[in-house]
Amino acid sequence: MKRVDIEDILYTVEKPGRYLGNELNSVHKTVDENTIRFAFCFPDIYEIGMSHLGMQILYFFLNKQENVFCERVFAPATDMEDRMRRSNIPLFGLESRESIEEFDFVGFTLQYELSYTNILNMLNLARIPLFSKDRGEKHPYIIVGGPCAYNPEPIADFVDIVILGEAEEVLPEVLEVYEKYKGRHYKREDFLIEVSSIQGVYIPSLYTVEYNLDGTLKAVKPKYEGVPERVQKRIIEDMDEVFYPDKIIVPFIDTVHDRVMLEVFRGCTRGCRFCQAGMIYRPIREKGLERLQELSKSLLKNTGYEEISLASLSTSDFSNLDKLVRHLISEYEKDRVGISLPSLRLDNITFEIMEEVQKIRKSGLTFAPEAGSQRLRDVINKGITEEDLRNAVEKAFSLGWSSVKLYFMIGLPTETNEDLVGIKELAYMVVDCYHRTDKEKRGKGLNVTVSASNFVPKPFTPFQWVPQNSLEEINKKQKTLVDELRHKKITFNYHDAKTSFLEGVFARGDRRLSKVLAHAIEEGCKFDGWGEHFNFDRWMRVFEETAVDPSFYANRSRNYEEILPWDHIDVGVTKEFLIRENEKAKEGKLTVDCRTNCSGCGINQGFIGGVC
Amino acid sequence: MFKIRSRFVKEDDIIFISHLDLVRVFERAMRRGNIPISYSKGFNPHPIMAFATALGVGVSSQGEYIDIQLDKEVHTEEFKTTLNAVLPKGLKIIESKYISKDEDSLMSIISRSLYMVKFKITENIDFNVVHAAIDEFLSREEIIEEKEKKIKGRKYDVKIQRKNIRPNIYQMQLLSVEENTVILKMNLATGSVANLKPEVVVKKLKEDSLLPIDVESIRIQRLELYKEVEGQWVTPLDVLKRI
Repeated sequence: MKRVDIEDILYTVEKPGRYLGNELNSVHKTVDENTIRFAFCFPDIYEIGMSHLGMQILYFFLNKQENVFCERVFAPATDMEDRMRRSNIPLFGLESRESIEEFDFVGFTLQYELSYTNILNMLNLARIPLFSKDRGEKHPYIIVGGPCAYNPEPIADFVDIVILGEAEEVLPEVLEVYEKYKGRHYKREDFLIEVSSIQGVYIPSLYTVEYNLDGTLKAVKPKYEGVPERVQKRIIEDMDEVFYPDKIIVPFIDTVHDRVMLEVFRGCTRGCRFCQAGMIYRPIREKGLERLQELSKSLLKNTGYEEISLASLSTSDFSNLDKLVRHLISEYEKDRVGISLPSLRLDNITFEIMEEVQKIRKSGLTFAPEAGSQRLRDVINKGITEEDLRNAVEKAFSLGWSSVKLYFMIGLPTETNEDLVGIKELAYMVVDCYHRTDKEKRGKGLNVTVSASNFVPKPFTPFQWVPQNSLEEINKKQKTLVDELRHKKITFNYHDAKTSFLEGVFARGDRRLSKVLAHAIEEGCKFDGWGEHFNFDRWMRVFEETAVDPSFYANRSRNYEEILPWDHIDVGVTKEFLIRENEKAKEGKLTVDCRTNCSGCGINQGFIGGVC
Repeated sequence: MFKIRSRFVKEDDIIFISHLDLVRVFERAMRRGNIPISYSKGFNPHPIMAFATALGVGVSSQGEYIDIQLDKEVHTEEFKTTLNAVLPKGLKIIESKYISKDEDSLMSIISRSLYMVKFKITENIDFNVVHAAIDEFLSREEIIEEKEKKIKGRKYDVKIQRKNIRPNIYQMQLLSVEENTVILKMNLATGSVANLKPEVVVKKLKEDSLLPIDVESIRIQRLELYKEVEGQWVTPLDVLKRI
């Protein structure tokens, strides 16, 4: 394969550091005819993709295997894309600068629905046929994973292989099967049928989908015998045994999360009813303290980073948090290594730790009450109270913080005007807390930031049946909040309702959306998550021209009997559990943390032995 | 407290990272190399180091300088080898010397740069013709650079700032014109008092001389940075105060 010549282009594009491929710890290999070439693509720009922990893990995991060469590919920024198209340069692997057109595998991580057009645009730039049925012997297999892969139906026509669950387990088995086929003439479908029997592998092209007259699903059936009717996700039981890199690539240019990311656990026990991650990543699995100490040592030594972040879905729930933080402080304070603790809960944040951490590097405080009233917080099973927030901010202000961010969602099921007013009341309460704090103790310049995102119902959550708020409803609610939150110490941010609507369409979409996506990229849709590129009117035209009604997917209420596009995928959490939770939500009844009491979600039936 | 001044090169792919990126690359390399660098006080402690000047993205250099403050003394050779072992390809320390803590900052002392500049012309033009064009260009008393400046507080309005750049060009020496590629050396003002970038000179030359220069093809290499000591031009590592 010939290297693409981008040298001259680098002088003309913005942030050429995005395209160099030789950052610290990047892997470069000599290629021979047995090398399995794997392009790990992140369908967004470099700065976003390089902040993604999963990519770093799988990059080093795959490259650990001698006969595999995994390279990174990001969506080129639009100026780079223009240059590439003008100079006839195909999409290339950053490390080798070779076209990915004839790689063995081209993988995409599906982190958010609004990146789907970027996936197609990248395939197009790589000169790989978009539809899996149009790809032949010399083309790579398109393989996807990540949170959106649990309902991959909207992109089912484009992808060959979907990985459900932990790729560290599934990928080696797929590659092992592939080794037998590589270099020989064979039918692509034969290979796909063979890997379809691996737990955690879903091959969309091996299933037929039938529809009812009202547009709902009638049946999803495997085409051949032996292809599983329901595909189970794959999980790793022992987090101390699972591969974790002892180094990560350190970008030259500034990225969104430019620091060591140390994953402390997978899964979450809280059971918030809106949260897809909390359902699909079950069960909870923690890493041992000793392993984490070892990893932090090598990761810091091999990167030189000045900050380490303890990553998980809810870091204050980590049983060894206190011990780990104290260890990190005592070991690395001399090197001024800051510790960042994202995803802290209001009800169990320990300020003793926060205070210690602040001595090295100062950081902001972010809390997520999610909803404004106790009633609505109970509906979504958030499980925190106004009292929790009051205690937390009182403590924070008395320790010298003066800036607090509060995250909320609007458009949650059963939401009324009172719940919106509740957001205002909480924000004002925080302002009051600040003023009541001793002037000597509190920091100067209070700033309360209130962020309201729009609730998007997701598959595999108790809210998978509920209608998403219409654009009009969301706009009205946002206006109410803008009016309510006029206060010089309060900053109010909200998300664009139109992008949330599109996200909602693709989140619960089915296979018929593939043709919409194919048409959308012909019309030039890409980078839909970026305000400056997103064009709602163009999208609405695309839906119209493909005769697909987007509100059928976003704003329709489904009944429990309806076959959902993702029903043939088994994430371990049963439908019965989700129904039970949705019913409890309607009554505003809480379900306790599953560390306290098993809520019977089903994950310990068949996936792991008995207890989480 | 110890202050060490080093000359380093920036070449290969690493020329495509910005000055801010370069600062981070050095900071992290120090940590990986366990170099006992001093940190600033305050909420966001930073390693204490200072560069002579920011190099533009895409510009390579044989003569960059950095001052680094250390808590403990490290032998200069050891400092150099340790740091070179952890710096990415393309960045390399050439020489390090301890300097007095009374030494003025790099940024305040440097005043000139010597550059090697290469660009393409779209027609085949003889050496003498290019030479004459440059001579004519340099014979002007005024070479006006027009810069758009944003007006503070107003988003879209700009005002045009006119500046005579001729006094900041000390020398332009044509080295060769071969296969439509022009190579010249330029000695230009650099630093906080006056600063002129080679690409500005080349673009101006194109405008004023009508030489068919392809401005996208401009490639720049800094050869050396100078400070002035009693009328002499010397590098920041020369003529130092006694420690």
